[in-house]
Amino acid sequence: MLSKNYSRFSRPWDCLSALNWLTSESSGSKERVGAAAFGCCGGFCRRLPLFRSQHYSANWSAWQQRLPRPLLLLAMWISSTATVTADDLAQRIDAVLQQSFAAAQVAPGPVSSDAEFCRRVTLDLAGRIPTVDELAKFLSDPDPQRRSVLADRLLDSPEHSQRMADLFHVMLMERRGDHPEWTVFLRTSFAQQKPWDQLVREILDPQESPEQIRGAAWFITRRLEKVGQQETDYPGLTRDIGRLFLGCDLQCAQCHDHLTISDYRQIEFQGLYTVYRNTSIRTDVKFPAVAEKPLSRKTDFMSVFDKQPLLVGPRVPFGIEHEIPQFESGQEFAVAPDRAKNFPGVPKFRGLRLIAESLPSAANRRFAENLANRLWFVMFGAGLVNPLDQLHDDNPATHPELLAAVADGVTAAGFRIRPVLRQIVLSEAYQRSSLGAAAGAVPYQYGQEKRLSAEQLLASVLTACGTGGPAATADAPAEAEQKRAEAFVKAFGNIPGEPELEFSPSLKAALFVLNDPLMQEQIQPGGGNLSERLSQNGDDIVVADELYRAVLSRAPAAEEVRFVCEYLGQRREHRQQAIGNLVWGLLASTEFCLNH
Amino acid sequence: MLQSACQSDQHQFSRRRWLGTAAAGAAAVALPVFDPAVHAAALQRAAKQVLFIWLDGGISQLESWDPKPNTEFGGPFRAIPTSVPGIHVSELLPQTAQQMQHLAIVRSLCTQDNAHSSGVDRIQRGDPKDRGVVYPYFGSAVTKLLGPNASGLPPYVWIKPLSGGFMHKDAGFLGPQYGSLAFGDGKPPQNLLQHANVSDQSLQERMEIRAFADRQYARGRPAASTEANGFVYSMGLELMQRRQLFDESTFAPADVQRYGTHDLGRHMLLAKRMLEAGVQFVKVNSYGWDTHGDNFNGSWSLVRRFDQPFAALISDLAASGLLDQVLVIAMSEFGRTPRVNGHLGRDHWPEAWSLCMAGAGVRRGIAVGSTSDKGTWVTSQPYDIGHMFHTWFSALGINSRETAWDNQGQPLPIAHEDCHPVTELLS
Repeated sequence: MLSKNYSRFSRPWDCLSALNWLTSESSGSKERVGAAAFGCCGGFCRRLPLFRSQHYSANWSAWQQRLPRPLLLLAMWISSTATVTADDLAQRIDAVLQQSFAAAQVAPGPVSSDAEFCRRVTLDLAGRIPTVDELAKFLSDPDPQRRSVLADRLLDSPEHSQRMADLFHVMLMERRGDHPEWTVFLRTSFAQQKPWDQLVREILDPQESPEQIRGAAWFITRRLEKVGQQETDYPGLTRDIGRLFLGCDLQCAQCHDHLTISDYRQIEFQGLYTVYRNTSIRTDVKFPAVAEKPLSRKTDFMSVFDKQPLLVGPRVPFGIEHEIPQFESGQEFAVAPDRAKNFPGVPKFRGLRLIAESLPSAANRRFAENLANRLWFVMFGAGLVNPLDQLHDDNPATHPELLAAVADGVTAAGFRIRPVLRQIVLSEAYQRSSLGAAAGAVPYQYGQEKRLSAEQLLASVLTACGTGGPAATADAPAEAEQKRAEAFVKAFGNIPGEPELEFSPSLKAALFVLNDPLMQEQIQPGGGNLSERLSQNGDDIVVADELYRAVLSRAPAAEEVRFVCEYLGQRREHRQQAIGNLVWGLLASTEFCLNH
Repeated sequence: MLQSACQSDQHQFSRRRWLGTAAAGAAAVALPVFDPAVHAAALQRAAKQVLFIWLDGGISQLESWDPKPNTEFGGPFRAIPTSVPGIHVSELLPQTAQQMQHLAIVRSLCTQDNAHSSGVDRIQRGDPKDRGVVYPYFGSAVTKLLGPNASGLPPYVWIKPLSGGFMHKDAGFLGPQYGSLAFGDGKPPQNLLQHANVSDQSLQERMEIRAFADRQYARGRPAASTEANGFVYSMGLELMQRRQLFDESTFAPADVQRYGTHDLGRHMLLAKRMLEAGVQFVKVNSYGWDTHGDNFNGSWSLVRRFDQPFAALISDLAASGLLDQVLVIAMSEFGRTPRVNGHLGRDHWPEAWSLCMAGAGVRRGIAVGSTSDKGTWVTSQPYDIGHMFHTWFSALGINSRETAWDNQGQPLPIAHEDCHPVTELLS
């Protein structure tokens, strides 16, 4: 099973099943043999009119329909004539959305309160909720620019690098585990504000030095690991490169030109596949490293439909094909292999380098659009194009001019992520309150709910309970911290290979919050944590106030103060326990476990 | 507040709605428009339950349901009469033989795969046509199709030796939330037991505070998130509050004696309690049935260890009337070769084998199908696993011909479209 991100649109098995089943009388076994050989539908998708009618499902098309066509075209024209710099992106975003609100004859929702903004932006940029002190300082700051000041402070904090490393780890590895070298690569990359094109280049053609970046190879080597008796999943690696760096799920194009997406031709998949199926995991070194065999000839492929033999050399999807130079036998290597040491050698002609040079670049519009769309998803809980890996002409963005503007902003910023996030945070769209949203609201009229990752949840629990500082125990605190982090990922993460997109509560997570000692130790008073501090305070009204500020990052409403006071009033003799229960109740609330 | 935890029928439907639409990667069955007649039928279906006993490795049909005494490949064991005149089973099933009036034996299975690694999957997924999608196991399929019942307990529980936890693999394209909750060695999964420092009273108060906070949050916001989150917490709490279900020390000693103190006996007794508590689908696994060597001594101990709890359970379910709603299935991924190999063992044989079922809409006291004199081939109409899936769905009140999966717009048959329900097995 694959998640929505993979599967809403046009997969080979869609075509196969819809038609094979509905027309089962005519489905011969011959075609199925072909299907098995290609791991694909074997051509049933050719009979496709039925499937086309289901092409766009869900809400996204409804969103698009609300935008009047002339406005769309106007906005597209504007975006094509004006140059966007990284600095005016916030205004551009709001101008476009203002037009869409006007067209839909609705008013944008109210601006978020300072507390709402403070929690939202701290979670998004620093990966945790604000502390009580941070919140108080922000709320009492008279500076009219305090929101941008806060954003800048957060963006410059070491926590921001950590947050980005966590975020991109989950996005790129999709819970396939962890590797210390990969962690080092991501952390140092984000700490030094490495531009996205450079980071992707290092992933697509990993180098064994310098040491801080060699862990980039794990993106490839983890995917090349054998699972049981299955073949090495080269098609899966190729597909993930398309999905994650170009926003294009080319899976169907493995076996034939995509039938409903005219941009996704078989050659887009095959040109990339030619290069990556030529790789393997290096066994002569302990760290993750990729070996590449010399490439001497083009790859044959054929469509399962017309069976015309075709050839392709290394080629970035939607780009130009590179010629393969010919070398005398024995002259293929720049660094010769060493069998005794299992060293695979380095070929003179390297497809990996060609791909890494041309795929992540400003000239490749899809590369910029993919990053723009994914950053938008991170900040707004939905992509401008959905699913995130279905960027193509037949699936336009909900607001095409916004996608263009953000992609221009990304390029203008030289693929540095921080300035783009900053502009998004400064937009009115980002700062709108999520309160008051009702069914049928126009997109971005209100703030959106966003899923918190396991990493954000852990950091927020520690912040709320006031135990986020250096570990108190001397015996291997790092190890204990790692165990705790792993337990949170196990409880709140998705299964390996499945992107984490939307809020999806599970029984496993609920039982973890209900009973796991790791949660209980946060609730148990001690070590100056929240429960202990509140227990020492005899004033129930003050307790209610601090409780809500610490856990939910806001002052309690009058009825919430009343609720807390009544509850504590009835439990004078078990007050400490009662306070623990209050802390737990708010930690387990939906309000706490979402960014809203 | 706690009592409001989704007990009304109306609410069951909104839960179903959530399960069908909100969870990641879910494939939603088309949701019924509220209609009293449809509603009554749905409730009737939701009351149905399944006990699926999986004898991993392959029970020998010749030493169980389809004995061929005094033939070339028959082995040393005799056939004994059962409570139904004319039906004989192996003498290794003496107690089960006395329950034959409740059972239906199928002796004409002919399936496609003779390897364990792929066969287990193919059989438990119903071996549908290959469309490049991973079909759900029977348990995930049934719980999805029946919809939640009123028990508030996890719908799909798997009792097995060794490790437990949340097993998402079974769910296939239905999405991980249709996986099973596995009781490794019969023990509840991690975090099911209440923390020692938290009293029952505190637990209840915590849930009330949580619910209060969610009501506050939901004011002025769409209800989807709080409903979904509230649902998993009430299920968690329900499971914790029923923890005596899993506590072996509360088992009646007489029951323990009747079911047997070995793993399968304990696990079947646990399964009975879960069924009585309302768990919709209980799978019980027993391992070690792959008797390539010394098949006859192996079967002597294995089959008899199955016989005791199986007979006890059938007789208990029949006595309580629960058998009318619980479909019981006992089977493996294939049978074993009639021909005895050089190690006095039997190898894998999907060509002609047997299974046993009972309860719900299954006809009682029959043996369907036949094999050749030596047990080598099916001589009646052969049935594939697809026929069994159709039959089981029918026995549960699910129209297997007209119901389809909707895998995000992709219609898929719930059982192999070239097969059909076996009417002679249905009452």
